[in-house]
Amino acid sequence: MKIAIIEDDNKIRNELSQFLIKYGYDVFAPENFKNLVSDVLHEKVQLILLDINLPVYDGYYFCREIRKISNVPIIIVTSRASDVDELMSMHLGADDFVTKPYNLQILLARISSILKRVYHLEIPQEITYNGVTLDISKSIVSFNDREIELTKNEVKILNILMKNIGKIVPRDEIMNELWQSDEFVDDNTLTVNINRLRKKLESIELDNFIITKRGQGYLI
Amino acid sequence: MNFIRFLKDKIAIITIIILALVFIAVLLLLTKVNTYVVFFVLLTLIGVTTACLYYEYFKKASFYKNLIKATNELDKKYLLSEIINSPDFFEGEILYDTLKISNKAMNDEISVYKLAMEEYREYIETWVHEIKTPISSSLLILENNQNEITKSLQEEIDKINKFVEQALFYSRSNTVEKDYIIKECNLKDIVKNCVKRNSKMLIKNKISVDIKVCDTLVFTDKKWIDFIINQIINNSIKYKSENSYIKFFAKENKNSISLYIKDNGIGIPKQDISRVFEKGFTGENGRLFSKSTGIGLYLCKKLCGKLGLKINIFSENGTTVEIVFPMGKLTNL
Repeated sequence: MKIAIIEDDNKIRNELSQFLIKYGYDVFAPENFKNLVSDVLHEKVQLILLDINLPVYDGYYFCREIRKISNVPIIIVTSRASDVDELMSMHLGADDFVTKPYNLQILLARISSILKRVYHLEIPQEITYNGVTLDISKSIVSFNDREIELTKNEVKILNILMKNIGKIVPRDEIMNELWQSDEFVDDNTLTVNINRLRKKLESIELDNFIITKRGQGYLI
Repeated sequence: MNFIRFLKDKIAIITIIILALVFIAVLLLLTKVNTYVVFFVLLTLIGVTTACLYYEYFKKASFYKNLIKATNELDKKYLLSEIINSPDFFEGEILYDTLKISNKAMNDEISVYKLAMEEYREYIETWVHEIKTPISSSLLILENNQNEITKSLQEEIDKINKFVEQALFYSRSNTVEKDYIIKECNLKDIVKNCVKRNSKMLIKNKISVDIKVCDTLVFTDKKWIDFIINQIINNSIKYKSENSYIKFFAKENKNSISLYIKDNGIGIPKQDISRVFEKGFTGENGRLFSKSTGIGLYLCKKLCGKLGLKINIFSENGTTVEIVFPMGKLTNL
C-alpha cells in the first residue's frame, strides 16, 4: 500500500515517512510541488495525506485538481482546528480530516480503516514467532497443533508483546493499549489478565513464554 | 426634578420679589391708593411671577426628566448623548454639547481598545497555528526513536501541547459564536474519547477509571465539550490522592441530562469552593500542590455558559463536577 505525504516541513515529512514505513506502508513524499498532481498520479498511490496549510501552494486547489481526475482517498491534515476548515475539506471531497499535532495511533487507525473500506482489504490478522501463531481475527493462539481461545484483552496483550519481541514492554504501555480499545483496566485487572493468559499458554505447552521483568514490564 | 426642588433653588429671587411686593404694597397704601386696587395689583404681580416660574420649570423639567430616565435605563451609559435630543434652553444646550464631546471621547477610547484586543487575539491564533508545527515535528521524531529518555520528553511535550490548546481556547472564548456547530453527540463516546486522550497520564498516576454513561445523545459542540471535560480530568489528575479513581456517570432529569465526573482526590476546601470559577483563582490547593494558572475552571464555566450548559462543583470526599445538558433542540440560555 503506497501513501503520498504532501507536507512542506522537511522534518515532519521525513519523520512521518519513517513512521509509516515502520508500519509497513510504502511512501511517496515529494519535496517539490511544481507538478504535484501529475507526480502523485504517476506514483499510483492508494492514499494521500495532504497538509492543507502549505505556504506557497494552495492545498485546497490541489485537492480540487486531484478530485477532478481521481477518486483516491485523501486525508486532510491541518493545524487549524476550526469547523470552517473541516466543512471546506468535506466539500472538496476529502475522506477524512486530522489535526496537528498528530495523534499517531489515531492516524494509523484512520488510514487503515479508509484503506480497508475503499480497497476491501484485510489488515494482517496473524502474527507469528518461534512456532507460536496468534490469529487476531479469530482470537486464537496456536503452538504445535494445539490451540486455545483468548479473550479480547488477552489477544491485545499477547499482540503487543509479540510485536515487540526481545523488548521489555512496560505495564503502563500494555494498559494504554487496552484503554485505547475502550477497556479501562486498572493495575490489578491487568495482573489478573496476564496470569490468566499465562495459564492458557501453559495449557498449550507454552511455559514461560511471557517473562516478567520486575519493576519494568513484560517481555517475550 | 420636581417643582418644589426647582423653587428651592430660586429662593433668593423669590425672597427679593416678596420684599419688593411688600415695598410696593406699603408705598401704594401710603399714597392712599384704594385697598382693593393695592390688593389687585399684588395679586397680578404674584400671579405673573408664579406663571413665569412655572413656565421656566415646565420647559426645563421635561428635558431633565428625560435625561435622568435615559441614564437609568441605558446599559452602555457612555452612549447617552445619542439617545437624548438637544434642548431649547441655553443651560441645557451647554450640558448637551458637553455630554456629546465627553461621550465621543469615551467611544473613541473604547474603539482603540477593542481593536487592540482583536489584533492580539488574531496574533494568538496565528501563534498557536505556527507552534503546532514544531510540536508535531518533535512528537514524530520521538515516536520514531523511542527509548526511556524520549518517553519522558514525550510527556513534557504533551504538557506543552495542553497549554497551547488552553491558550487557543481562552482566546476564542470571547467569540465562541463564530466557531461552533451544535450537533447531536453521543455522551458515552465523548467521555471515552477524553479518557483515551489522557490515558497515558491517568495510567501513569495510577488513577482507575469507571465509565457508567449510556449512549445518550446530547446537543453540543464536540470540540468545546471535549476541552471542558479535558480540563476537569486534568484537574483530577493534578489534585489526586492515594488510590485515586475518576467515575463518570449520568442522570436523567425532567428537562435535562447531568453528567457527573467524580473523583476521590484531595477535594476543594470549604472556603474556596464558591470561588473556583473565578478567573485566576488558585486557592489553597493551587498554591500548595502545583503552579496553577487559575484559568481552567474559569474557561469551563464561561464556555458552558456560551453553549447553554450549566456547570456545578461539589466537594465531598473528593471533587464532583456536574455538567447539565438541557434536553431538546432549543436550549434555555
